[in-house]
Amino acid sequence: MNARAGRTRIALAAVVALAGVLGSGPAVAAPLAHREVLPNGIVLLVAERPAVPIVAVRLLTRAGAVFDPEDRAGLANLTGALLTRGTAKRTGPEIDSAIEFVGGSLEAAAGRDNLTVALSVQKKDFSLGLDLLSEVVLSPTFPAAEVTRKVAEIQAAIQRSNEDPGTLATRALSRLVYPSHPYGRPVEGTRESVARLTRDDVVKFYARQARPDATVVAVVGAVTVDEARREITARLGSWARPSDPPPSITPPTVAMTPHEETIKRELTQSTLMFGRRAVRQPEPDYFPLSVASYVLGGGSTSRLYTRVREESGLAYAVYSWVSPARYGAAFAVSAQTRTAEVPKVVVMIREELTRMTREPVSERELALAKQYLIGSFPFRLDTSSKVADFVAAIEDQGLGLDYADRYKERIGRVTVRDVQDVATKYFPPASFSLVTVGEIK
Amino acid sequence: VRIVVALLSIVLLLAASAAPAADRVVASTLDNGLRVLLLEDHRSPIVSFQVWYRVGSRDEHRGATGIAHFLEHLMFKGTPAHGPKQFARLVEENGGQDNAFTSQDVTSYFVDIAAPKIDLVIELEADRMQNLLLDPKEINAEREVVIEERRTRTEDDPSGFLGEEVGSIAFRAHPYGSPIIGWMEDIKRITPAEIRAFYKTYYVPNNAIVVAVGDFRAPAVLEKIQKTFGRIPRAQTPPPVLAVEPTQNGERRVLVKKEAELPVVYMAWHVPNHQSNDAPALEVLSTILSGGRASRLYRDLVYQRQLALEAGGDYSYFALDPNLFWFWATPMPGQTPETLEAELAKHMERLKTEPVTDEELARAKNQIESAFVFQEDSVHRRAALLARLELIGGYAQKDSFMTKIRAVTAADLTRVAGAWFAPERRSVGVLLPKPR
Repeated sequence: MNARAGRTRIALAAVVALAGVLGSGPAVAAPLAHREVLPNGIVLLVAERPAVPIVAVRLLTRAGAVFDPEDRAGLANLTGALLTRGTAKRTGPEIDSAIEFVGGSLEAAAGRDNLTVALSVQKKDFSLGLDLLSEVVLSPTFPAAEVTRKVAEIQAAIQRSNEDPGTLATRALSRLVYPSHPYGRPVEGTRESVARLTRDDVVKFYARQARPDATVVAVVGAVTVDEARREITARLGSWARPSDPPPSITPPTVAMTPHEETIKRELTQSTLMFGRRAVRQPEPDYFPLSVASYVLGGGSTSRLYTRVREESGLAYAVYSWVSPARYGAAFAVSAQTRTAEVPKVVVMIREELTRMTREPVSERELALAKQYLIGSFPFRLDTSSKVADFVAAIEDQGLGLDYADRYKERIGRVTVRDVQDVATKYFPPASFSLVTVGEIK
Repeated sequence: VRIVVALLSIVLLLAASAAPAADRVVASTLDNGLRVLLLEDHRSPIVSFQVWYRVGSRDEHRGATGIAHFLEHLMFKGTPAHGPKQFARLVEENGGQDNAFTSQDVTSYFVDIAAPKIDLVIELEADRMQNLLLDPKEINAEREVVIEERRTRTEDDPSGFLGEEVGSIAFRAHPYGSPIIGWMEDIKRITPAEIRAFYKTYYVPNNAIVVAVGDFRAPAVLEKIQKTFGRIPRAQTPPPVLAVEPTQNGERRVLVKKEAELPVVYMAWHVPNHQSNDAPALEVLSTILSGGRASRLYRDLVYQRQLALEAGGDYSYFALDPNLFWFWATPMPGQTPETLEAELAKHMERLKTEPVTDEELARAKNQIESAFVFQEDSVHRRAALLARLELIGGYAQKDSFMTKIRAVTAADLTRVAGAWFAPERRSVGVLLPKPR
């Protein structure tokens, strides 16, 4: 097995599930990518990285779970999972064989806001890869047998995920943090909601949501701007823009009422997850909040890591994070501890949240957080896949390709006072919902 | 965990052990025995600096399992020059990312950081190779953290729990049978004195590889390494691992009942490692069985017949000693572990008698080769691959690895399947969900 054990290397499903792609992104001087709008409305982003002969492509279209009808949770997820399962030209297995024969990958999946198609190929296979990508985007057939198959698979995956405490906590917390909001429903749906989905639902959803004027295509790697434009236009240029405006939603702004919820499982350790609403990236509070979160629970020098893990030995994993998305944002704190110590850890987390509101952080803590958030930026962009994810997300969130520079500048300006101000707004412990998964009496 | 992703990553990991571009590697061995590999890569202003110690759970003894991993945690607890927390603080305030992992064979530490900061990292790493505090108070606090880590990874994770059980019945003599994180009883018992002795024995320059890839000038970095690591005296060669696992003479089984939603089946066979001429064929065989959605196990068990939610396999080509070839499957609701066990066995039997198709063979080779190309994109992965190759005999073996892979024939696969996958050489584990 690929067995390994590490100090802090932990696959925190909860972090991945709640964290936005951007989390916190800092700065470079050069523009991140070339940007242009194709005649049918596709926003094309290209970043040339000639050194390694590979190409990463990300296509985002506004067909995320946020658009699931209320009684059809999981529809976007099912649609994404079916996209590569058959096109006008090829069956699903034929698509798998074609891309894997050249050692590439083509994956489609829906998240909260978007449906993403991700292609990675060697440069020599760029043309084949784009043929496959454009087929799955333009002519998916959603074969009935594949729908049946995928529904059963998703239901089983949901069942299995119920044995993962992090997933259970994340799902419950999302529901509490986002009442009446689509983000409160699981992207994958429930076993019951998925059972209700039909091929017809999928076909209609995709036809309504996936459209060129709500699509971003990022091409990154050993290609030139001209080549990318030519190849993308040749394949996706015929994608017709509908005459009506793209669907948009205005999620309800129901305020969150703090709740506590316990999910009982036979486990030796309990998972605690605190959460509440926060601010999205375009809002001014986002920058000081990122700094405040880093001081509280961002890295292995944070207050929570120091107190809960290093000084008390109560947890292996203890973190806080901001999770921004297009239609809402959350702030969360999570820890896993032996069940007997749950009350102690809850108190510690609440005390540390409160301390952030009552006392200014030290200049040293502030400086470290800012230096880390700004200085770690190059590592968010050190592979073609990461660059493609990053620029596509920036475009999708409407942040502008100068966001990296702006982020650096805004983080750099955050003061001790700003941190305390956002902490006062967002960290009062009584404003959080709390989910506990474990052997709780 | 989505199995396709897991399988692809295994392919990447294996292939990562043999990338090209080693021609520009500056390799040297210092007088104290420290092996140094430096590769300039000027695409981004970053560097990955890694120290790999040739020590892992295979070097542990009964009663002290988990000590290598425990020590890994303590490597972040300070030296007289850089107190507790200083390491993480210095790295973070320079925008860097540091972490470490312990495997059966090695303990690896890495810092990915802005290139101008490489001197700072060199100083920190050289300092903690020799001067770790190992304060008993810190050790006891960290013990609780390791125990929590074990709860997360093993006690409360059905697959992790079963995997540990199967590993432990598969090996009778070789330490590969004990978990990397250690048995709970051992983690609780290990003393500061034992940890100190372990550190003194294995964390010595003649038992380590330093590798850096990134935006630097190799001669300058080598000079800095000589001035820091170079001052650490050579020590006695650490004791070799003498245990050789005897041939398994009958199937072994373990049945675990645990709160879970779906059963899990594991099957593990003793197979040779990279030192064997059969290793390249086993690597290709592993890819044919479980490399992606066109692979046999996925296409048959997950896709066509929907018997499994997940199914896959894994082979450790680069293990220092002969290890296991793993298979696993999670039955779909309504399917039994017995069915999946039989189906996995059938796939293995089929490989013994029926040659794979040309397409399957070509696809597997292309996947392995392509994974090489992809990992060249990251300085971190380039560095890790040089270290992995060095561990098994030399960073320059990259070319020969791919040559051996390309030479594998369908007849080779039939032969190795027949040679290694006898029913009496397997260990089987089944996890049955206990109702909540």
